Amino acid sequence: MSYKVRMKMFEGPFDLLVYLIENAEMSIYDIEVSQITKQYFEYIDEMDELDVTVATEFMVLAATLIEIKAKMLLPRFNEEGEPVMEEDPRKELVTRLLEYKRFKRASEMLATAEEENRRIYPKPQEDISQYVEQPEEFLSMDLNQFIQAFHLFLLKKQKLEEIRREYQRVERERMTIDQRVRYIQELFQSAGITSLPFGKLLAKKNRYDAAVTFASILEMIKENQVDAHQSKPFEEIMVEKLSDEERERRIAINEASKKMIGEMGS
Amino acid sequence: MTRKSMKAALEAMMFTWGEPLPAKIAAEVFNEDWKEVYQCFQELKQEYEDQERGLRVREVDKAFQFVTSPDYADYIERLCTPVKKRKLSQSALEVLAIIAYRQPVTKGEIDSIRGIKSDRVMEGLLNKELVREVGRTNGIGRPILYGTTDEFLKYFGFSSIKELPEIDDIELAIHTEEGEAQPDPRQIRIEMSSLEEGENGND
Repeated sequence: MSYKVRMKMFEGPFDLLVYLIENAEMSIYDIEVSQITKQYFEYIDEMDELDVTVATEFMVLAATLIEIKAKMLLPRFNEEGEPVMEEDPRKELVTRLLEYKRFKRASEMLATAEEENRRIYPKPQEDISQYVEQPEEFLSMDLNQFIQAFHLFLLKKQKLEEIRREYQRVERERMTIDQRVRYIQELFQSAGITSLPFGKLLAKKNRYDAAVTFASILEMIKENQVDAHQSKPFEEIMVEKLSDEERERRIAINEASKKMIGEMGS
Repeated sequence: MTRKSMKAALEAMMFTWGEPLPAKIAAEVFNEDWKEVYQCFQELKQEYEDQERGLRVREVDKAFQFVTSPDYADYIERLCTPVKKRKLSQSALEVLAIIAYRQPVTKGEIDSIRGIKSDRVMEGLLNKELVREVGRTNGIGRPILYGTTDEFLKYFGFSSIKELPEIDDIELAIHTEEGEAQPDPRQIRIEMSSLEEGENGND
């Protein structure tokens, strides 16, 4: 297996041709076509051996070189058999090579400028939002951040609704029956009247409060503090505060009846 | 407003701004003729150079910014090891050179000068925003015309496209070297870079 020290890579067919001409110390205006063509083909064969894909553009220039070589080998004669002074067949190629060399030089100049400029450090655009008035800050949010924030907001809302649907809020029982009894007593006192509808006794309009209030009323009836009436089913229950005399009278009746029941039982 | 205070104000503005500050925008701030402001920028630039400051004023197409002086690059590199971007390839530089000097130019013209297709290279240059589409020709198929950008000027350190050395001067250089034994230009570059390394080593 052969060992290649170096395989030059060329940017294009002109790059290769310019290299070959310069390497052979030839004048670009007087190219020795046969020598250059030979070297050009040698290079392409070498690329082939190394399995480097040879771009079609290299083959196009190869064809051009052969064409020029053929033209130079076969001088043209006119019908009278006199040689015809023709344009140098190399002229077009030379023009194109010179054009290419111009830009190659320019690209080398750019490479130098690039190298020099790599030693210069600019500052990136400063974030000047802190010097700018508030409204600008809203604009500084980029669209993706904005979408994300909105998406998060929707997700929270959805989660909250889910929880509300599945679970009920549980509150500690704030009011006991004893407390409610005192509350109802105070209510009668401050209102200065003896009769109130049940609805007015409720502190809050919820099921728990209604239950506590109802139980409290039952307790108060038992202790002869109030009396309750309902004229028809589902009508408003009227709660009436008993006067002290009435209360004592009822207590007396209760005790008398208990006594009677006790005597009957024995 | 005195010239001195205007220049001082421009320094303050450039410091805050970071990116190249267009002379026109600065002129609006002062409510002055932009040419007057441009002149001040130019003077500032000269002053920084004359005093050999660590900071320099760089012009990019009539806009100005503070940059570091290349003389102190080594210290910046020791301070914060900035990430070096990959250099442009030889073919990318060739295409850029053609666009820079021939703009506006079509891809067809570029390919014809280079003798090889430049599609991949063009794609890379467009992505790097070193070149951009500038219009279309009226020719068959109305091919796209390309030109260089401000990013191109910044990347190579040119203040404007006019600052590029005359291509005829470059051509002249080829003519004068004609007939001389011409070594491979790549070898020259290797020698130069090894020389630079030697100099750095003496620091």
